[in-house]
Amino acid sequence: MSAPGGQIVVDDLTKVFGGNVRAVDQLSFSVEPGSITGFLGPNGAGKTTTLRMVLGLVRPTSGRATIGGVPYRQLPNPTQTVGAALESASFHPARTARNHLRIMCTVADLPMQRADEMLDLVGLHDAARRKVRGFSMGMRQRLSLAAALLGEPQVVVLDEPANGLDPDGIRWLRGLLRHLAEQGRTVLVSSHQLNEVEEVADRVVILNHGRLVRAGSIAELSAGTDSVLVRSPNLQALHTALTGQPVTVEPVDPTAVRVRGMSAAQLGNLAFTAGVELHELSLQRFDLEELFFSLTSGQ
Amino acid sequence: MIPVVRAEFLKLRTTQVWLWMLALAVIAGSLIVVGGLASDSVHTPRDVPDVFANANGTLLTAFVLGVLGITTEFRHQTITTTLLQTPSRWAVVAAKLFTYALVGLLYAAACAAVQLAIAVPWLSAKRIDFTLSDPDVGRAVFGPLLLFALFALIGIGVGALIRNQIVALVSGLVFILVINNIIPAIPVVKNSYAYTPAGAVTEILFPAHESTPGDVHLIGSGGGVLVLLAWALIPALIGAGYSMNRDIT
Repeated sequence: MSAPGGQIVVDDLTKVFGGNVRAVDQLSFSVEPGSITGFLGPNGAGKTTTLRMVLGLVRPTSGRATIGGVPYRQLPNPTQTVGAALESASFHPARTARNHLRIMCTVADLPMQRADEMLDLVGLHDAARRKVRGFSMGMRQRLSLAAALLGEPQVVVLDEPANGLDPDGIRWLRGLLRHLAEQGRTVLVSSHQLNEVEEVADRVVILNHGRLVRAGSIAELSAGTDSVLVRSPNLQALHTALTGQPVTVEPVDPTAVRVRGMSAAQLGNLAFTAGVELHELSLQRFDLEELFFSLTSGQ
Repeated sequence: MIPVVRAEFLKLRTTQVWLWMLALAVIAGSLIVVGGLASDSVHTPRDVPDVFANANGTLLTAFVLGVLGITTEFRHQTITTTLLQTPSRWAVVAAKLFTYALVGLLYAAACAAVQLAIAVPWLSAKRIDFTLSDPDVGRAVFGPLLLFALFALIGIGVGALIRNQIVALVSGLVFILVINNIIPAIPVVKNSYAYTPAGAVTEILFPAHESTPGDVHLIGSGGGVLVLLAWALIPALIGAGYSMNRDIT
């Protein structure tokens, strides 16, 4: 069975550094075209090592990773297939941004004006002929992104692309990623900034200590997780009123409970009918951060 | 393969190291030639070849350029981009070998041109006739073309093998400048001198020369070329097959 073009498949991937450090441990997941997948995990979870194995830069101890069914090192035109931005420091400090991209154009047999087009796209037009030495972190991120998108790749892999970007830059990046996914490209973005990812990602893969903790679409992960926070000076009466209802009730603090399985309107109606005084009735949306911490803490 | 080679030239051109090394090679070589001409040792056409051959120390610029050509990529992590675009380590190392051999050749050509521009009028003013078609003169003036190319290759090989810029430069230079020159003085190993870079340079530039250090056994200039090729290609092969395959983290 051949994988669809642009699908990233990580299959039972393990990396042991120096004989005993298990950076990645039997990790399997897939990343689909036409969507943005957030690759999440605390620092040191193995995100970067995994991405580097996907890109053929780090040799797996066991298992394999493929892009469109092919290991990275066997891709015929890597620049036109996969665009990767790994870290903001990988430029020669004495080389200009434009020359950096022109070298990449040369290797990939792309027309030289692609370099200028990309610099315009990422907003580095004015800095094109400046040496990278003087670039801010945000400018380096933009240059990395320009390099990743140079060959109009089907697959885009970005390691912490929001690092160093200002709020405007982050909003711009979000729009760009959305645009890339809408064009049918595969977008894999690692991040530890969860709210960034939650707003833009369709799917998430959560990693901790090199192991997969959870993978799925935001919709799947958030299904059934909406809850209603109810605050009342008389929780006892509220509990009585809820008896027999198809809900789960979870205490939050001495004056509040979290209720799942009923909408805020239904709960308000129930409390009103039962004559229970309410001080707060608020819908609690799915919170990736909360899920993340509940999954990664205490492991 | 051609795009990868063109990109290597562009990499070299877009920073200034090549220019500084070239300036160093041309100026140092010219000063040595001027020193030789100004000294009292050049009286007959037989003395002319050594005037040029004595500038062979400038070969080290080609070696250093080669080492930098590959280790700078590791130092600034541009190797990540390089290997993402060209995942075959063999192709990357082969492209660098080709590029730097050619650059070494151009360095030597620039050095030879400047040295001749100084020496030809000077020698004619001294009324010493010499011709480039004389085998000894031709060897001393044009031999460096081959030697610069070979030393650039050795630089690439050592860089690919060691990856770390400082370690590669220091160990390479210490070997060539110090250890290599001690070998003829040590009886047990002195006959291996013919198979070292300095020995090979001696074979190519100073054939059957009375000043051969330590009176060691030599294997001729053809053998010298093969020795230098081996010194370049063996580390390059190990580098491409093993060192360059180590994890890029």
